[in-house]
Amino acid sequence: MPLRTDIPVYRPDLYSASAIRDTYPHYAALRELGPVVWLSKHKVYALPRYAECRQVLLDDDTFASSGGVGLNPVANRVGQGTTLFSDGEDHARRRSLLAHRLTPRALRTMKDTVDQQAAAVAEDAVARRTVDAVEVATALPMSVVPDLVGWPQQGREHLLRWAGATFDALGPLNCQAARTLPASLGMMRYARAVVRDRSALDGSMGHDLLLAADEGRIMPAECATMMIDYLAPSLDTTISAISSALYLFALHPEQWRLLKADPDLVPKAVNEVVRHQSPIRAFSRTATRDTELAGTAIPKGSRLLVLYGSANRDPLEWDDPDTFDIRRDAARQLGFGQGTHGCAGQGLARMETSAILRALVERVDRIETTGPPEWALNNVIHRLERLPLELIPA
Amino acid sequence: MKISVDYPRCEGHGLCADQAPDVFSLDDDAELTYRFEGTVVPDESRPAARAAVNACPVAALRVLT
Ligand code: HEM
Ligand code: SF4
Repeated sequence: MPLRTDIPVYRPDLYSASAIRDTYPHYAALRELGPVVWLSKHKVYALPRYAECRQVLLDDDTFASSGGVGLNPVANRVGQGTTLFSDGEDHARRRSLLAHRLTPRALRTMKDTVDQQAAAVAEDAVARRTVDAVEVATALPMSVVPDLVGWPQQGREHLLRWAGATFDALGPLNCQAARTLPASLGMMRYARAVVRDRSALDGSMGHDLLLAADEGRIMPAECATMMIDYLAPSLDTTISAISSALYLFALHPEQWRLLKADPDLVPKAVNEVVRHQSPIRAFSRTATRDTELAGTAIPKGSRLLVLYGSANRDPLEWDDPDTFDIRRDAARQLGFGQGTHGCAGQGLARMETSAILRALVERVDRIETTGPPEWALNNVIHRLERLPLELIPA
Repeated sequence: MKISVDYPRCEGHGLCADQAPDVFSLDDDAELTYRFEGTVVPDESRPAARAAVNACPVAALRVLT
């Protein structure tokens, strides 16, 4: 059995501010080193290539989530009780309570609303002409998701900050996570109050949870964590995808022309955006037994880091992985995860991102950057913080 | 090549039908239909069927060789 010293080691901090702002060179260096790389700074095995990431995601018996999918013991404890942090029966039960509200079938009733809101967002953006891509990207998720999850009107002003902080807290315990920890606890406190006061909007997913607790199908304490399960990952991620799409199309005007010529390419474009600029950097798993991965011994209890963003740029899997091409078949990309924990909200995320792209492609001839992009500092979410754009009307 | 479909797990994302329309389709109710249930996938549809299995985001499809 190879010893740990046989495993390539990567010493730079993958979560330093500079690495967070410019991660892709680190991913390339990791992939170059091998299929399993020891991150000495964070004491985890990183999986930078597609094949191993996929293998681990699909084998949830061996690579469990119930020990948490974050990189620090505090968050891995605080998040207990969520769908994201559970396995087997518990996971199936929790997921079945809400995921059915998010299937493409269930979402059909929302499609007209989402399309209308997207049209309004696009109309407004084109009228202003010079915009911040992130502001444009924020409008639709904020107008759709809190209602669906049932978050009361009061308290919504904090949602984005809280949700971002909840993700930040899943990284290593660096100053970034320490800075945002109070905000992520704020979200938990608020969710508990929503459950206690039964203030989740009628007919919403949160309301379903209250009823499930009344009927004894879940523990009352699970209600609050499960509401966060669905709120925290639903805003920043989609905002990331929409704003990255705008950035990529500004950088590649020929791709925008392709989309204008054939708007049926929108669903493929969404897959390609999530592949090229994966909104979630990485989550972890714990090995439930001594096992082996790509010829490397993985002792029971080891933590492995599934680098979605790196897998999606692996040249062993993709031709010209760094090239953004909406004609590419990117359906097997891992940006939404895969398998048992595959993103429960991807139908909604796809619907929102597609709606905005369709609304803009009708109205915008060209997208041009008018200043440099600024990337957000977040341990888990990869997204723009600000990007000044000019939308040249069609 | 045989494929097993875990129907309870399928959430109707339809990525399989995009990849292999001759093998998988979704009806108006977003209910999945697998054309070769209980039999084998014909040779000419295999590459597409394999791509469909790989694209299913919740791993509801499995190749049983
Ligand atoms: C572009 C947007 C999005 C991206 C890239 C994304 C990405 C992901 C990823 C990578 C996972 C897998 C976690 C794992 O492997 O452990 C995941 C899980 C999840 N996502 Fe998303 N997500 C997005 C939007 C959404 C939305 C809009 C919602 C809710 C409305 C949502 C709800 C969830 C939930 C509940 C899980 C946990 C599923 C489980 O553990 O069974 N996501 N997402
Ligand atoms: S891709 Fe998977 S989840 Fe989607 S319809 Fe096909 S089998 Fe069902």
